[in-house]
Amino acid sequence: MTAVAAPSPPATRPRPVPWTKLVWVTWRQHRMALVGVTVLLGGLALYLLIMGLKIHSGYASVTSCHPARSSACQLASNLFTNDYHPTAQTLTGFLLAVPVLIGVFVGAPLLARELETGTFRFAWTQGCGRLRWVITKLALLAIVVTSASYMFSLLFSWYYQPWLAKGLDGVLAPQLFALRGVDFAAWTLLAFALGAIAGVLIGRTVAAMAASLAAWAGLNFLTALFLRKHYQAPLVVKGASPSNTNPPWVFGQWYTGPNGAVVSQHTVRNVAAHAPASVQNSHNLNAVTAYLAQHHYTQWWVYHPESRYWHFQFIEGGWLLALSLILLAATVWLVRRRAA
Amino acid sequence: MNVIETSGLGKRYGRTWALKDAALAIPASYVVALVGPNGAGKTTLLHMSVGLTTPTTGRITVVGSETAGSPAALDQIAFVAQDAPLYKNLSTADMLHLTRNLNRRWDQQRAEARLKELNIPLDRKVGRLSGGQQAQLALTLALARRPSHVIADLERVADYLIVLSRGQVQVAGEVEELMAVHSMLTGPAAAADDVTERLAVVHARRAGTVAHLLVRNGPDPAPPGWEASPVSLEELVLAYLREPGATALPGPRPRATQDSGIRA
Repeated sequence: MTAVAAPSPPATRPRPVPWTKLVWVTWRQHRMALVGVTVLLGGLALYLLIMGLKIHSGYASVTSCHPARSSACQLASNLFTNDYHPTAQTLTGFLLAVPVLIGVFVGAPLLARELETGTFRFAWTQGCGRLRWVITKLALLAIVVTSASYMFSLLFSWYYQPWLAKGLDGVLAPQLFALRGVDFAAWTLLAFALGAIAGVLIGRTVAAMAASLAAWAGLNFLTALFLRKHYQAPLVVKGASPSNTNPPWVFGQWYTGPNGAVVSQHTVRNVAAHAPASVQNSHNLNAVTAYLAQHHYTQWWVYHPESRYWHFQFIEGGWLLALSLILLAATVWLVRRRAA
Repeated sequence: MNVIETSGLGKRYGRTWALKDAALAIPASYVVALVGPNGAGKTTLLHMSVGLTTPTTGRITVVGSETAGSPAALDQIAFVAQDAPLYKNLSTADMLHLTRNLNRRWDQQRAEARLKELNIPLDRKVGRLSGGQQAQLALTLALARRPSHVIADLERVADYLIVLSRGQVQVAGEVEELMAVHSMLTGPAAAADDVTERLAVVHARRAGTVAHLLVRNGPDPAPPGWEASPVSLEELVLAYLREPGATALPGPRPRATQDSGIRA
């Protein structure tokens, strides 16, 4: 061993391994997952495209029907709705699970499989260093799955548009809200981030998938049920149900009695039961409401008007994006400090 | 320059110390084997040298004064982990391609030549290679990175570890040397005697277990602080097998009053 008299000055840092090489690594190792995402989204997109074209042409013939008020046109419109609308609604229920499927199947194995099979001892001791390695993989896959699901949700919006134009559904309705705008993509990103951090924390692929799936579903459920309606103070109106072109998002209603206090539904039913037969047998619900109003029973509604749609989309997209970025940053930090 | 330098290095898992108070300096240009019974902390030490494990106490620096596990350090050190953990679903060729893209330097020709020599087909999936072939592939990948130093954790194969460190690694020569050190402790001991020449044996006390450091001298005389003495390998191995703690071999004669740990 040669003794060196003076310590040599630190050599200039070698240029790091270029990102482009790590992009190839990411592609090579995750192409099966990406092919899976492509097959899933591509298959569904094909279905949406075919059905969407049918629905749009059907809708065009319904809107071009003259005179629009004629019973023939009404019948055609109803037949069109009955043909396609139930299927479209069933489909939305299924599509709600797509973000978590994509996110968890791409995100959870990313680190869990390395830890499970021990290959992290290979991957993390290469010249590029584990920090670059994990940042490239997370960033690239996050961008790919998020943009793919965003494009898919654009297609879905187009597919579903006739029903919104007909005023059959409200854009703030929980199912539709999560499938359109930026929400679908944001929930996909969150699923991916949850999968990634569960992977590094748990270190087992299947367990990480289950954990991130559960966390995502819980968060999604709580958001749709409790959190979303608090993004803005809801509107409260009395009288007939609030309505414009599309149904608003109504999530509360009650009656107040003659003294202004809230009364139970039981009381309201009792009052309505004393209404004359002409009112009780009327097919028009407003007749009952009018009868109740005459007896100083007022109906109140709590709702968000559909004009708040984009406001709500950006609030939810914003916090989902922030949460996802925090989770991804935490994942990088955990990889960096992880001592196996 | 020291390839690995530690002081007061310790690692605790829960209440158990895997390694405790290890003071060690492994100079470059030496082939060093680390021998010890199960649980002596060999793997822990090597994992700490490449940043896979963080020390509980003390510090460890590599290739001069680089942080263990930093890209600058890993650029010069190729690590071969126990059990050759490679991607089983990739083909050998893809494994080469992958490793090439994870490193700054890469010698594709040497890697391919070595695999050809070993009859390891490029188009076969890594998972379908035999265990020995996978170990050879892992070693080939490490050497094709043209590292200055190789740290190989071959415990499962050879029941001991080898740290191979030299100024410049020449693929063919280094592997031979590595394999020679390998076989000298696993194969017929007498046949390996000529490989041994001189071995300095250092032992360290740690929580009741003992780790030995076997050093095959390089061309230079032993560095300050190292005790070099001729010893036959048979003697060494037998002594080691008899009682790792009460070895008949010459131990370290530290000059300073360091109290414990692996000494250089």
